[in-house]
Amino acid sequence: MIAGFALSFTAAALLSPRLVPSQGLARRLSVPAPATFDGAPVARLPSALDIRRLVPLSDPAGSTRWAAVERTVVARREPTVHSAPVGVLPARTPDGTTNIVVADRGAGSGGRRWVQVSLAVLPNDTTGWVPRSALGGWSFVNTRLVINRARLTAILWRAGRVIFRARVGIGAAGTPTPAGTFYVRDRLSGFTNPMYGPLAFGTNARSPMLTDWPGGGVVGIHGTDQPNLIPGRISHGCVRLTNAAILRLGSLMPIGTPVRIE
Amino acid sequence: MTGGGVRSLRLDDFDVDGAVRDTFEAMQHHTRSGFLRQTAGAGLAALGAAAVWPSEASAAASSDVTILNFALSLEYLQASFYTEAERIGALHGALKQQADVVGMHERAHVKAFKQLLGSKAIKEPKFDFHGVTESANTFRSTAVAFEDLATAAYKGQAPMITSRSYLAGALAVHSVEARHAAWIRRLAGFLPAAKAFDEPLNAHEVVNLVNSTHFVTLRDPETSARTSPHFTG
Repeated sequence: MIAGFALSFTAAALLSPRLVPSQGLARRLSVPAPATFDGAPVARLPSALDIRRLVPLSDPAGSTRWAAVERTVVARREPTVHSAPVGVLPARTPDGTTNIVVADRGAGSGGRRWVQVSLAVLPNDTTGWVPRSALGGWSFVNTRLVINRARLTAILWRAGRVIFRARVGIGAAGTPTPAGTFYVRDRLSGFTNPMYGPLAFGTNARSPMLTDWPGGGVVGIHGTDQPNLIPGRISHGCVRLTNAAILRLGSLMPIGTPVRIE
Repeated sequence: MTGGGVRSLRLDDFDVDGAVRDTFEAMQHHTRSGFLRQTAGAGLAALGAAAVWPSEASAAASSDVTILNFALSLEYLQASFYTEAERIGALHGALKQQADVVGMHERAHVKAFKQLLGSKAIKEPKFDFHGVTESANTFRSTAVAFEDLATAAYKGQAPMITSRSYLAGALAVHSVEARHAAWIRRLAGFLPAAKAFDEPLNAHEVVNLVNSTHFVTLRDPETSARTSPHFTG
């Protein structure tokens, strides 16, 4: 194969008036000679294009994808319009932000694409299938937050490395922080209620006890005006951090980050 | 323009000095409107097949920065497309290999153009590929369309580049896009090189074809707000 290539290349070179600027040879082979040949050097590539090493994605399978919910839609048990509803996926959160979902997996059915997502309904960890067309474009994160209720810690991982660690306050015995796999779906700030500190993240986790709470009992991750209670089992279900810690977490944790509460 | 949070890619996004727009306005009334309507209706397969149309803007003047930003916008589009496909993981075998390798190339192109343009580089828009990265069939047909489009777009701009060095750079990318096109065409069951001569697309045609896909979105989701939480506390 190499020999064949070399032969072809040699033949091409013989036919090329630029490589062999012999007028006599060109005439014999009926190849039109160039009008002029000034011997100008080949233009150099801009140095910005001198990229020698191609960089693959780091751990593409380890990223989590999320998308905005573009229209309120019924989530179903199976990826088909004939399947039983398991809940409604609203386009807005109780706090008025755009609702998002993290995708577990996708499927095609009846010519439509479907996506299995975690819902913000009780019982926690309920999943349902929604049409792909109800969602916006995908965004990707490579972070994950782990809340350990026994150790009262929050640890943020990015690409397999710990980048944040803090002690936390979690739900009291009568209003426990629910265990499960959730995700961060919004980020609130600029409010005056000191109880939440300077920054609050909303999740799709719901308190199984405070179902009549405004907004349905959404479990958040936020600061506090009682830092002396951290660490401890002192909240209504939310995860509380000191204000310094929540601000630091706010600079590291993007929307869509999976949250495992164990 | 379309509603629902989706907007078209605009010439203003990269035509910082209006040179490309001026060129279009000076064009003869030989519009492609009928052709473009047909393309938009027929979807992405038609987009790929349509990426061979004679350029009318090739003789017009345009700044190299405008052209490089135009190229960067196409590279953003392609890099996002392949990166998303790789992350979603719906591709296997030869198609996955193509997506992974071409994705690395397109990200390198983005990096190179951004470095070349420095502070004049346009920002990356948001993309919504509407699920075409989530199955092998839709990925394949869209990739054919993108690579044919990019190849024709570079060909359309090359004669207008004034810097010899930039022209060399554009041609270095153009031939790679052509190789990508041949690769994915073969995987899609098309002739890798169907014609003896390829024809260019001008910037206006390229923008209209990209717009017909609605892959460029208007804004980020409103996931941040200055409001008091309703959390349980």
